[in-house]
Amino acid sequence: MPLICDKVAFTYPGAEYPLFTDVSFQLAAPGFHSFFGPSGVGKTSLAKIITGDIERASGRVSTDGLNTLFYSHNKERLPGWSGVGRHLTRVIPPSMHAGISKLVEIFGLSECINSRFDQLSMGQQNRVNLIRYLLQDCDLLIMDESLANVDELTREKIILAIKAMFPLRYFIYISHNVMEVARFCDSILVFRGSGKSPQTVMINGCNILKKEDLRRAALDATLLEIMNAA
Amino acid sequence: MLPRRVFQFFIIFFLFLGGLMALKYSLALSDYVIPAPSGIFQTLIAEYRQYSLATLNTMSVAVIGQILSVVMALVIGITGRQSTWLGSFIKAAAYNFQAYPIVALAPILFILLGDGFLTRLLIAAMICYFPVLLSVLGIMSKPVDDIEHFYRVTGRMRWQLEVKIRTFENLTQLTTVIAGSATLAMAGTIVGEFIAANAGIGYNIRIALYQSDLGKILIALFLIGITIAIYQALLESLGVIIKRAWTGR
Repeated sequence: MPLICDKVAFTYPGAEYPLFTDVSFQLAAPGFHSFFGPSGVGKTSLAKIITGDIERASGRVSTDGLNTLFYSHNKERLPGWSGVGRHLTRVIPPSMHAGISKLVEIFGLSECINSRFDQLSMGQQNRVNLIRYLLQDCDLLIMDESLANVDELTREKIILAIKAMFPLRYFIYISHNVMEVARFCDSILVFRGSGKSPQTVMINGCNILKKEDLRRAALDATLLEIMNAA
Repeated sequence: MLPRRVFQFFIIFFLFLGGLMALKYSLALSDYVIPAPSGIFQTLIAEYRQYSLATLNTMSVAVIGQILSVVMALVIGITGRQSTWLGSFIKAAAYNFQAYPIVALAPILFILLGDGFLTRLLIAAMICYFPVLLSVLGIMSKPVDDIEHFYRVTGRMRWQLEVKIRTFENLTQLTTVIAGSATLAMAGTIVGEFIAANAGIGYNIRIALYQSDLGKILIALFLIGITIAIYQALLESLGVIIKRAWTGR
């Protein structure tokens, strides 16, 4: 089991109540997984605990076999002194350079590759940021709202491409789009509203690999499960 | 930028002059206390050459002093940005030292180094050094998390890159502080000259003070003001050029 969280609890310094007290789950296989739930329940905090960005949590987080874990989010910016194409070439390892043009094409960024970061729309900025993380040598990538401000069709295309191109990598996708997580994710850790026990529930998603794989009945069942859990 | 700065200076200076004249004529003060406009004009004709050269002399010391202080502030500010023992020591030392008036230290420099170029240069550099240092320390100590996060997690962050990111993100503030410190450097040099030096416009003001010649002092103030306005405008233009070249905007 490469990723195990066992009875993880966390309280922000100075906070009166803990953010969560008993989060346990495991991700057994690589693939597209998700954290889903309302704002403020601790999805981002748990993601940062997993990657080690937050160190004061209690409980056990085991990442055996996962050597490199990255947390990325939609507020990140690229330095503004050069175009995004030049930046990508500089920060992506040479062994992965072949993937740049492919992802730029799939992500719909061909026309703005020579622009500077602040000249892009918010959706384009998030896509550029995601490309530079995808093309790093890592075992687990957490994508915290990484496709925010991107239209639905492009999001779908991007997620399917990521699943096809990186089948051996673990992804944790944090999103508020219930339809998206239900359709594309292998497992969904649903953070429940305050006062409910247990605080999280793990649900299996439809995990489609191609658009035509989707079965309506399975999707409805997953959606129902998520809504009941939340 | 340059014409606007000079125009603004002219407005302020002539308002000040107008105020003085209003005071002179309303209180019927003699020409000995506040000279008449014709007297000031005659002083200008008589002294402008010597005073212009003296102002340029002061300005050259101020420019060298400012360059020296900016370089020192950048070096110390970059070293002191880290949350290490040395970093916090440098910050504490900078805050404590800047509370001490440099003018009070100036006599020590004159006693130790004499009244020549080096003493004026040191006083100019010290007076504009601390405000620049505090700004650089503030800028360099504050992480730009939304940019730096990627470099940190991927192990690409180097101190040079960290400095580059923080400089780029605070370029407007940095260029404003450096342009503003020109005034401090000039003021520092004049104060030094006024206390004990043997050259420069501050030295000439001291002589004018002993002669109780307000006309000469007004001419000196006019030349100092116009020189600072031009120098600041040039620095601001340089800042705009650097920003445009670096940011593409």
